Amino acid sequence: MAKIILNLNRNQGQREKESLTKDGKILPAWFLTLPVHLRSLVEKGIGIEMDGIEEIRLRIGRPLVFRSREAELTIDPAGWPTAELSQGVVITRADLDRTLQNLSQGSLYAWEDEFKNGFLTLPGGHRVGLVGRGVLDKGSLKTLKDISGLNFRIGHEVLGCADEVMPYLFRGRQVLHTLIISPPQCGKTTLLRDMVRQFSDGMRTLRFNGVNVGLVDERSEIAGMYLGEPQFAIGLRTDVLDACPKALGMMMLIRSMSPAVIATDEIGKMEDIEALTQVLQAGVSVVTTVHGDCYEDICKRPVLRDLLDWQFFERIVVLSRREGAGTLEAILDGKTRERVKKIC
Amino acid sequence: MLKLIGAAIILSSCGAGGLKIAHVYQERTRVLRFLQNGLNLLETEINYISTPLPLALRRVSEKLTQTPRILFGKAADILQKEEGVTTKEAWERGIAELNHRVPLTREEIGILSVFGCGLGISSKEDQLKNISLAREQLRMAEKAADEAREKNQRIWQYMGFGLGAAVVLILL
Repeated sequence: MAKIILNLNRNQGQREKESLTKDGKILPAWFLTLPVHLRSLVEKGIGIEMDGIEEIRLRIGRPLVFRSREAELTIDPAGWPTAELSQGVVITRADLDRTLQNLSQGSLYAWEDEFKNGFLTLPGGHRVGLVGRGVLDKGSLKTLKDISGLNFRIGHEVLGCADEVMPYLFRGRQVLHTLIISPPQCGKTTLLRDMVRQFSDGMRTLRFNGVNVGLVDERSEIAGMYLGEPQFAIGLRTDVLDACPKALGMMMLIRSMSPAVIATDEIGKMEDIEALTQVLQAGVSVVTTVHGDCYEDICKRPVLRDLLDWQFFERIVVLSRREGAGTLEAILDGKTRERVKKIC
Repeated sequence: MLKLIGAAIILSSCGAGGLKIAHVYQERTRVLRFLQNGLNLLETEINYISTPLPLALRRVSEKLTQTPRILFGKAADILQKEEGVTTKEAWERGIAELNHRVPLTREEIGILSVFGCGLGISSKEDQLKNISLAREQLRMAEKAADEAREKNQRIWQYMGFGLGAAVVLILL
């Protein structure tokens, strides 16, 4: 039934922003964190543009793996790409240590919180997930040591990917409370980012002038903040609370930044719901996302079910991967639960 | 007349040599003191701002006005501009650059080298301990250098001219 697929191809602007110039060559920041011999293999086998690659995985004693939307591949020691993972170049402890040294700029102390949370953000907004041995302090995780695996998640910024849904998210000049429901890796963060940008910058076609947007980016995924600078286009009037718990961040933004819209990713905890009700009382619009396959799936979860029963959200955007990442399944009215956009 | 000019040249050369050695004693004490100031600034960058080392070292170098800025500045340059260099290697090259400008003793170089081995590779808590240890060792080295300066600086200031005068007398 769904035939609209949001355009999730990365735009040139992001490529230029994330890149560093080295010897006249433009290289992405994530590429420069790899050890030199792996870089030459990647450059020879796949090329640094890496269109369509979503993840790069380094696991000690196992092959280097690239994952695109459809397939996985590796590079053999001669630099040829192959789908046979067992033939891939094997990652050593030295490779991982060198990558970590590059990632942390030789300053592990500066990324303690990130290690504790299990990820780092790179210039360009890409994220690197980490696994290793947990170090506990009084029962809670203090940090990770003996890092054994890294997952580079290549960030996607697609300006204009929210164009299809934006006309349905207003009542007059009021932004409607909106929930994006989507399974993992279907483009919900990419969609949310572009929605934030458009709310913030305004849309000439919809005669919307743009409003202050408060963004609580708990996992540094939406704005991709790196040393205080957003790595993605998030709009002229957007204030970002980076790496801050959602519930706390929403309250802080309301008190201090007078936003008209608050955006955040992946709600689901009880405290998030309490914060959302306070946001509602402050007359601020909320745009957020949740993991889920469909509307019915969300209705089965106790905390989210309550929110839907209260008819908190006025618009519900459902994404899937049915016809590729970013398939727009439906835009529902939160009160009547009827489709407000016909998708043929 | 020629003899007089020759004597003046010998006297001034030997005197300048003596003054130079005396100056080194004084400069070493100052360098060791300002290195401690540099470590204080680095401690602030690491403890309160968690600044990554390339930027932290650059900031320390910009805040210091004296000779030790060479060490922090050189290490920051290498970390920011050269690929595949470890923090330890960058720091070692910074020490070499500083030592080229101000001759340090083997013991003083050892303090800085050991400090560089642990730089950046552990938690904030460990980094602060490392800084604290190096600062204490530098403080003791400064004390020793100051004692040496008190003992030797004046001697060398006069010895250069004395030696020059002796040579002139022998030659005459």
